[in-house]
Amino acid sequence: MGMTATETRSTEPQIGRRRFLAWLSGLGIAGSAALGSLATFFFIRPRTTYGQPNRFKIGRPDEFPSGSRIAIDPKRVCIVREGNKVAAISTTCTHLGCIIAPSATGFQCPCHGSRFDVDGNVTGGPAPKALAWYAVTLTPSGELEVDKDNEIQTGTYLSV
Amino acid sequence: MRLALAVASLVVMVGSGAVVYKETQASWQDHQRAYFAQAKAQAKSDAERASLSVKTPKIEQTIVTAFGTSRVERCESCHIASDDPRFASAEEPLKTHPYSAAMGDTYKDGRWERKHKFSEFGCTSCHDGQGRGLTKADAHGEDEYWPTPMLGYVAQADWKKENAAHLHGAEFIQANCAQCHKDRNFAGTAIVARGRELFFKEGCFGCHRIQGISSGTIGPDLTEVGKERKLDYLWGHIVDPRAYTPTSVMPQFKLSDDDKKALVIFLKSRRGSSPSESSVDQYKVEASNTAPVPDSVAEVATAITAAKTPAERGRQLIEGYACLSCHKLDDHDGGISPDLTHEGLMRDRSWLMSHFQNPRSQITDSNMPTFALPEKDFDDMSAYLMTRTTMPQATTPAQTFQTLCARCHGEKGNGQGPNSIYLDPAPRDLTRAEFMSTKPQLRLITSIHDGVAGTSMPPWGKTLTDAQIQGVLDYVWAAYVKEKPHQIKARKLPDANPVAMSADSIHRGESIFLQRCTGCHGRKADGHGPNSIDITPRPRNLTNTAFVQSVSDRRLFESIEYGVDGTAMPSWIDYGLSQNDVGDIVNFIRSLNKPGK
Repeated sequence: MGMTATETRSTEPQIGRRRFLAWLSGLGIAGSAALGSLATFFFIRPRTTYGQPNRFKIGRPDEFPSGSRIAIDPKRVCIVREGNKVAAISTTCTHLGCIIAPSATGFQCPCHGSRFDVDGNVTGGPAPKALAWYAVTLTPSGELEVDKDNEIQTGTYLSV
Repeated sequence: MRLALAVASLVVMVGSGAVVYKETQASWQDHQRAYFAQAKAQAKSDAERASLSVKTPKIEQTIVTAFGTSRVERCESCHIASDDPRFASAEEPLKTHPYSAAMGDTYKDGRWERKHKFSEFGCTSCHDGQGRGLTKADAHGEDEYWPTPMLGYVAQADWKKENAAHLHGAEFIQANCAQCHKDRNFAGTAIVARGRELFFKEGCFGCHRIQGISSGTIGPDLTEVGKERKLDYLWGHIVDPRAYTPTSVMPQFKLSDDDKKALVIFLKSRRGSSPSESSVDQYKVEASNTAPVPDSVAEVATAITAAKTPAERGRQLIEGYACLSCHKLDDHDGGISPDLTHEGLMRDRSWLMSHFQNPRSQITDSNMPTFALPEKDFDDMSAYLMTRTTMPQATTPAQTFQTLCARCHGEKGNGQGPNSIYLDPAPRDLTRAEFMSTKPQLRLITSIHDGVAGTSMPPWGKTLTDAQIQGVLDYVWAAYVKEKPHQIKARKLPDANPVAMSADSIHRGESIFLQRCTGCHGRKADGHGPNSIDITPRPRNLTNTAFVQSVSDRRLFESIEYGVDGTAMPSWIDYGLSQNDVGDIVNFIRSLNKPGK
């Protein structure tokens, strides 16, 4: 036991230094690789794009009278108000992306005749799925804000 | 070796770490985190609190397409509370943008509603700055190369300190309000309207063109000056036109700081095209503005049409309009151009009319603009000036000199009066004894009595009595020349040019002129030869027809053959010119200034 201890003591400083530097280099290289790839990831992932923003304000709730369905074509949403409930329904056709218009029975696409009911469910035509509903929130300034990045369940309204 | 590897790898790691840190810890992210935390503290419902808890900082970007090319704006990445009324008393950048009833914001049901919604107008359409910027310096346009720093808020690094102090304040934003609110009586752009008024009142319109407003041609076109220049340049150039452009001939106008500010804001609002108009609208405006007459007269039309006599109308035009921002009239002194107080004694009506229509028809190198006013206005202004026939009060010669002569010749008689830099030829330096003492008294008296044709020296003969003229000359001699008149030895000079005028003679004169004279008098004989900038007094402009015609052959011969003492003109007989050569040169100079030219 005593011999081992002496041996360890005598060799420790020499190997320790080389070992230590090797470990340090390894740590440095591995760390650089990890952080470098993280930096590359930050660099490659777009922070923002130059399209129209997906989160936007559309005005005060009282600009949308009860029972109205007002389509905002440049933003491609239709604001639906029933009583004190507000929702935003996509007006991009799920078939080939035409802008659809509100009709008496719901929505109608001018391109290939897809038809949707008032909640955006498909009632006819080639459209494969229902229109998306987007989250609507009330900002502190009292305006409605639609977030098209946040799709919510059909039939979810915001009470105002 | 291992040590080097270890150190190098650690350095690289620290570097990569710094990049990651910088990417994740930008100041806009800190501002957003602070906003989320403060908003959470003020939240009224659990749902709101929950939604704020999951929020992470994101670049808030708006794209504004209504004002010219689409503007990409990320201002709300830092100013995230700009539209959140709960942050009215917070610190920037988390402060609510103030609401203003004057800007059309309305208050109802306990809430303010903005007229200029940020989603529609963005920030830079009013404030300027760099909408894409994500650091304070970038976004506010603090970089000296960014063309549109935030108006009235940012002074760039290369701006002069003394200018920057004046260029601070919300009122500068009016220059941008005026891009859409073009109505001159619009309450929100009162300072722009004031600047426009000054543009006419101070005579700027005489030299500068602004499309649809004025048609001056001497100075640069200012139609788009607000796009091309920053506040610092505009202010600095008005304060001292030669600060940025050493060769500028623009007068240094006496303006109060408020007036300068109004002019700067007005000029900053001149952007040529306006984002609120389509190119078709602009074309229509341009096409409908065929008359080059500025609306300056229309602006004071009520006062002027009320005037009963032409002279009274002329007085209102002269006093109310540009004239007195340069000229002196009674106690009002613009400090740039000659005194009009005794004009009726100095000029006749046809001289005045022809001078109004084109100042250079009488004074070849005058810097006075040709104002595009109707003929009737010139007529009435001439009529008024002809009534200015009061003789100055008889005072001592010293006082006469200081009141009438010193504005140009200087209090010290050195030809550097306040007006002198705007006069060409420059006023005579009366302290230059070599010049003064070698000229016959009669010539000096004549120059005062009859003026010097083609220059700004007016004829004082009717304004001053002969005794007063002699008195002033004696005063000049005692105070400035301080030398006795030299007796010049009789010189052999012809009274009339002995060489007959002929095409041959002119041709010979021209070739001698080109060899001997152009170094100073210039190839065009306009006095702007390459050496002229080093010479005072400046070489004579030999194409100044009024002057050349007023000078006798004898004097031309004397000046060329014997030189002009006290100036750089050498004695050419010493350089081998014969009398016939001089005769040819005189014929050449005369041929440049034919009567009726």
